Amino acid sequence: MKRDRIRNFCIIAHVDHGKSTLADRLLEFTETVDPRTMRAQYLDTLELERERGITIKSVPVRMNYRAADGTEYILNLIDTPGHVDFSYEVSRSLAACEGALLVVDAAQGVEAQTVANAYMAAEQGLELIPVVNKIDLPSAQPEEAKRELEEIIGVDAHNAILASAKEGKGIDEILERIVHDIPVPQGDPEAPLQALIFDSVYDNYRGVICYIRIVNGRLKAGQSIRFMATGRECQAEEIGVFRPGMTPVNELEAGEVGYLAASIKTIHEAQVGDTITEVARPAREALPGYKKMKPVVFCGFYPVVNEDYPQLRDALEKLQLNDSAIQFEPETSSALGFGFRCGFLGLLHMDIARERLIREFDVELVATAPNVVYQIVKTDGEILEANRPSDFPDAGQIEEIREPYIRLTVFVPSEFVGKVMQLCQDKRGIFHSMDYITPERLRLSYILPLAEFIVDFHDKLKSTTRGYASLDYEHVGFRASELVKVDVLVNQEPVDAFSFICHKDAAYHMGQSVVRKLKELIPRQLFEVPIQAAIGKKVIVRQNVKPLRKDVLAKCYGGDITRKRKLLEKQKEGKKKMKQIGRVSIPQEAFLAFLNIGKEEED
Amino acid sequence: METLYIGGGTPTFLNAADWESLIEILENGLSFSKGMEVSVEANPDSLNEDHLRLWKTWRVNRVSLGIQSFSPGILRWLGRLHDEKQAIEALERCAECGFASSGDLIFGIPGQNLRLWHSDLRTLCGSVNHLSIYQLTAEPGTPLAGKRVASQSEAYPLYRFAQWYLNRRGFLQYEVASFARNESWCRHNLSYWKQTNVLGLGPSAWGYLDGLRYRNAAPLMRYLRQEGLRWEWTESLLQEDRAREAAILALRTRWGIRWKTFRRRFGGEISRKLGEALSELSPDLFVKRNGRISLSDKGFRLGNSIWERLV
Repeated sequence: MKRDRIRNFCIIAHVDHGKSTLADRLLEFTETVDPRTMRAQYLDTLELERERGITIKSVPVRMNYRAADGTEYILNLIDTPGHVDFSYEVSRSLAACEGALLVVDAAQGVEAQTVANAYMAAEQGLELIPVVNKIDLPSAQPEEAKRELEEIIGVDAHNAILASAKEGKGIDEILERIVHDIPVPQGDPEAPLQALIFDSVYDNYRGVICYIRIVNGRLKAGQSIRFMATGRECQAEEIGVFRPGMTPVNELEAGEVGYLAASIKTIHEAQVGDTITEVARPAREALPGYKKMKPVVFCGFYPVVNEDYPQLRDALEKLQLNDSAIQFEPETSSALGFGFRCGFLGLLHMDIARERLIREFDVELVATAPNVVYQIVKTDGEILEANRPSDFPDAGQIEEIREPYIRLTVFVPSEFVGKVMQLCQDKRGIFHSMDYITPERLRLSYILPLAEFIVDFHDKLKSTTRGYASLDYEHVGFRASELVKVDVLVNQEPVDAFSFICHKDAAYHMGQSVVRKLKELIPRQLFEVPIQAAIGKKVIVRQNVKPLRKDVLAKCYGGDITRKRKLLEKQKEGKKKMKQIGRVSIPQEAFLAFLNIGKEEED
Repeated sequence: METLYIGGGTPTFLNAADWESLIEILENGLSFSKGMEVSVEANPDSLNEDHLRLWKTWRVNRVSLGIQSFSPGILRWLGRLHDEKQAIEALERCAECGFASSGDLIFGIPGQNLRLWHSDLRTLCGSVNHLSIYQLTAEPGTPLAGKRVASQSEAYPLYRFAQWYLNRRGFLQYEVASFARNESWCRHNLSYWKQTNVLGLGPSAWGYLDGLRYRNAAPLMRYLRQEGLRWEWTESLLQEDRAREAAILALRTRWGIRWKTFRRRFGGEISRKLGEALSELSPDLFVKRNGRISLSDKGFRLGNSIWERLV
């Protein structure tokens, strides 16, 4: 296929503005998928994605399209993750395309996330085709949506396509515009090979499979290749294209999108953003934009039963095969025993990992409260990076604590602006800017500590604006803050899994809610159990779990003895599922509840 | 043979003629010794003069009455067939016949306050030297299933009051649910808690023989059809489980565990393990005296949490 007949594009859309449905329609119109095997959200591969209606990672697809003038084209649709946690992956997917469909909901208009991704696409020189979707809705205001596209994003929207992916309206126009407006992929097929890895997945049989875009040169099956970031060399065992299933081909050349399997054992050897070149005639330099992904949110994962530690490690290793952004290292907690400190790109990413471990790998685990990375300047001038509260040195040795900040952009209807500003202020936000997009909508910008954001900002924003606000953020580095480490003591023993870092003004309030929650969840023991929150040696909150006073005491004659023994065994089994902290048994829920402390405050 | 217990709920269901043939069977099949404890269970609604006459002339010396309560409201709630008057009459008649009698009381019924509970205890105390108190549980498959019963914290004051009140009336709590005056313990029940051998006769009866526990077939016809041993279920305990069970059972009683005897029976290692498990708990749950460890009043109230450590 000639290069001028190839179009590579992606879809930029806010969550539930109809991206997956639109992709489904394109597959149907181009007859890429047999109608009998077609199902909704065809490209979303994870069960979890379909369930939550979000796309974390979906497969690219190649469509054959005969244009109105009779010319045959190849259209490669490269999907992009739709959540801020994955902005690096989005940028690599964009780098593999020449154009993008910029989809906005006709009823809701432009959202913050769409702006960020559209800017990213524009920055990389992509041609943007504006699409106003869901025009079938009674509340649709296509003209308003067009105006927002022009005024907020700055694209020329006079010829925006009016579509309804649900009803199949405008799909033919979208396809025509893709072949006419999106530029032909550039690149020199005769130059040394440069292929961009824009995604990679792990396959149990073939190892890592890289999704690639050939930027320059050719990739042939059997060729010796090199990964430029890691220096690893190997043989290209199989190359192919997505039709939508993987179909081997002999050669991929500049402009094409496909996959590569090369017996790569771990996903770290083939990282997203890396460049593949040929060993015989290596490219002089790698393609720009490669970054090693750095986790920003950390939490501890611990097996519920200590013996399951190897099982959890295996599960994490397998998960990492599929998701190179997850980092983990063994850690020991005096409360929870052996476990792992895990790093994630964001809270959604963490949540997904936790759920997949439970669902797909069948491990029962306890997750500690998430936290960000802190920089600690010690009195002797040394700078520490702390991934968890227990990394903090004694208060006496700390000169300054710095925490990561983000610049947050919120799009919000003007009626809610007061509430959102209040929320940002409560979260220690520093006002940055505010401007009217339309008389009814504003763009608010705040500088906010990431730590405050990760707890529950998104949920709170949703509930205070009834879902009408959208947000996006970018990291703006570390800043000094007045933070303290709060320890939680159960029966006088500090439980490291419950320690947390917070602003000094919030310490009492947060200590209160943690202690109250624990008091509710820790069952009565044979003795009184004090639960305390303390900063250093100073106790700021104390509550007691009253001792148990009476058990069920049934009669016990003859056959009752066996029944009684079985009951006691069951009772003991139940306790085994709890974590033993000193003499106190703490149920798993207490650890899980920790994640929800902030949320429940609202109720 | 040291004790014989004719129980299973309502042996008074049998009429005089049935009782005569039962007595004949037992006389032919068992060898009775002097001073043996022979107990019969009776319900106030079905106990009659024929029963009392037959028992008196035979070997019965102890009658255990299923009183439950003297309060009409509670008896009605429980669906019992007797009333307060029948309960008192049954107690009086047993005393007149010279039987050592015992009564059962139930606590933990919704609406049963301390006043009602005290009144039940006081009435029963006046006519027996032995009594048992049971907390009501709504077991699945029974008429009470699904009904609301008192929670542990509601039942706590009632149980605690019984411990205090019965002690004042001269009763000694010799087991979690059993109280006796003048050392009139139920020797038969003690044999369960001492893990001594028990021969179970009749459908659904349990027995124990040197570490083997068994249950006879429950349906009468199946029981009758079977030849020889009529066991439907057995369990055989390994030495260590036997030791653990022995310790738990012993701790049900006020005599508790005598370590010297326990070590001789089960060996030093398991004795040490169990001793350590108990020593982790608060000392006020126990009474330690003369090489024995037993539960204190508080310990009796928290039995499950303590025994759990020994499983």
